[in-house]
Amino acid sequence: MERPIFKPIGSPIEELDTPALIVDLDRLERNVQTVHSFFEGRAAGIRPRVSVHGCPAVAHMQLAAPGAVGGVSVATLGQAEAFNGSGIADFSITANVVTGQKIARLCALARRAAVSVAVDDAANVADLSAAAAASDVELKVLVSIAVRPDRMGVDPGQPAVDLARAITDSPGLTFDGFKTHEGTLEVRSVAQLAEESRAWIRRVLQAREAAEAAGITVNTVSAGGTYNYEIAGAADGVTEVPAGSYALMDGRYAGQREGLEPAARVLTTVTSFPEDIKIITDGGNKAIGMDRGNPVADEFPEAAIALSAEHGNIALETPTRRQVNLGDKLWFTPWDMGVTANLYDYLNAARNGRLEAVWDLPARGRYR
Amino acid sequence: MDNYRPAVGTPISDLDTPCLLVDLDALENNMAVVAETYRGTACKMRQHTKNIKSPRIANMQIQAGGTLNGVCTAKLSEAEVMVEGGITDVLIPNQIVTREKLARLAALARQGDVKVTVDNAENVETISEVAAENGVEIGVLIEVDTQMRRGGVRSPEHGVVLAKLARELPGVRFRGVMSHQSAGGRPDADERLRIAEEHIGICLEVKDAIEAEGIPVEMVSSGETFSYAAATLIPGVTEVEGGSYALMGNTYGYLDEFQIANKVLSTIVSVPRPDVGIGDVGMKALSTAAVTNATIEGIPGVTIEEVQDEHIVLRSDGSAPLKVGRQFMLLPGYQDHLINRFDQYIAVRGGAVEQVWDIPGRGCHH
Repeated sequence: MERPIFKPIGSPIEELDTPALIVDLDRLERNVQTVHSFFEGRAAGIRPRVSVHGCPAVAHMQLAAPGAVGGVSVATLGQAEAFNGSGIADFSITANVVTGQKIARLCALARRAAVSVAVDDAANVADLSAAAAASDVELKVLVSIAVRPDRMGVDPGQPAVDLARAITDSPGLTFDGFKTHEGTLEVRSVAQLAEESRAWIRRVLQAREAAEAAGITVNTVSAGGTYNYEIAGAADGVTEVPAGSYALMDGRYAGQREGLEPAARVLTTVTSFPEDIKIITDGGNKAIGMDRGNPVADEFPEAAIALSAEHGNIALETPTRRQVNLGDKLWFTPWDMGVTANLYDYLNAARNGRLEAVWDLPARGRYR
Repeated sequence: MDNYRPAVGTPISDLDTPCLLVDLDALENNMAVVAETYRGTACKMRQHTKNIKSPRIANMQIQAGGTLNGVCTAKLSEAEVMVEGGITDVLIPNQIVTREKLARLAALARQGDVKVTVDNAENVETISEVAAENGVEIGVLIEVDTQMRRGGVRSPEHGVVLAKLARELPGVRFRGVMSHQSAGGRPDADERLRIAEEHIGICLEVKDAIEAEGIPVEMVSSGETFSYAAATLIPGVTEVEGGSYALMGNTYGYLDEFQIANKVLSTIVSVPRPDVGIGDVGMKALSTAAVTNATIEGIPGVTIEEVQDEHIVLRSDGSAPLKVGRQFMLLPGYQDHLINRFDQYIAVRGGAVEQVWDIPGRGCHH
């Protein structure tokens, strides 16, 4: 468990005990406003992907903003249970839930919340149906459409229709529609992203057309994310976009989405200045996730950053002209907020440089 | 935060996944290797808790032998967890610079023999002031840079200046010198000894320079798992800061006297093609360091093709069927970051749960 020295609300943010994950509320609110306003008046809504931050306070802010569908998207059943504890009662679980004990938990959650779960396997449909019927609950089911044949999901043609039919024929289950997830996206040109997005979205819309041609009603089509929410949200037939990174943002998305501001960053402290081209901080890669890429030291954007487990290591090409003292605070923008927020138990919320709230992250570590 | 406490006796096949297993036979083997290696040596192991984050495992190691009655921790808050777990000899081989953290360190010094490393005169002065204000004594060791180019003094002269300063100032007690380096990536034991001698030799030069000034150097704390055996052959080293040996990983595989004691249990949730299975654990739980050199146990003939945020994609050579619901275990390359992402160890023996241990040091980056 993270064990920071707590500071009174109103404290200057640079007085926080470090390393600390801090979100600027003005930026967060502007990011939410920017993305959600796109969905106002559209057929498609945004279903916030809250797995990215694990924070109920942020999730409630997203759900209260215009353009939201009224529920959230999560990667795991455990995350849904954690957010349900904060009063959220509408979940789309985008992973397959296959084991007996997890299906039992899923049915229990369905008594307290509207739950949809993804499937790509007929035997799993039968297991879900048997458990839902025995528990006297109704589970909504989305069929996953694979982005390529060797990834999770089924082909958008006859396999998708067959699975949809199996669900409509199963007691305890309601066929709700289709979802697709593109997986981890590397940085590409905006034009290339748009082209690939349209290709992915076309696949899930093919499934919709095929199901409807077979007389099956499709309520939900879920596609897209922060990198392409305008493309997915404007596509005829898409009903919801499970975007999440837009709220806190990170270095990876900052390069793709200039209209959104880096809202959450990590504050660190200089603990050693052993050479005039070397600054050591207390934020290593147990405090700044770098599984997908290196962070940027905001005060030294050109510097090479090396993070060992417990130390940040800023290597300058030439001696810094800035005076560096032990105890100085330095900001880092992580490359990937998903893995970074998963290292913390608290998200400090700041406005105008002062601490306004300290939010719990109860969905951290809920991989099960 | 997860709170997964399966009943004692639960078969592994009934565990909910993903979860972090500790193989108790392997853990006990690893502790016995250390106990045997350090039997009768002047140099002892000081378990680094950054790799285990659990006072339970640290206490087991101390009971097994070959160690000091203490540990080293990466951070101040991790040290607090270990003191709460009953371990009172704690070295923090890191710099603590802010007055508020030093006040916490001073509070900890009331409860135990607490030591920290320094590389800067101003830091020594601040520690002295805060310790004196709180009426406690804090041990300091001079950190020496030998390879990493992180913290640490770069010359024996600088080490002597800091040692003299620590001797003069109230509230601090000069204890010795410390360095961290890695002799990893070298399967040959003689090569590891040569590398360890070279790097630790730099630290010993600082020790010699300080002793030449008539200042006794009580502690020389250095080494890591790769050099755990080599360090016993280097005169002057009093303790080894080994961490990884307890749980191990494939990246250390050539130290084959140790066994891999930590494994991530996962379940296949999708089989889109007969040769592809997708497991329910991903990068958020595992980390790049754990995935690098990771192997899969429990399903023959599979390799890791891709690690997504929440899933892992396995490719099979066809020697065993991939089925939805089938479990497998991932053996990590390096376990340090992996441990920092789970809240419980599920300790197993003979295919069933024997104990469940919390990981209170997880997230202790303060």
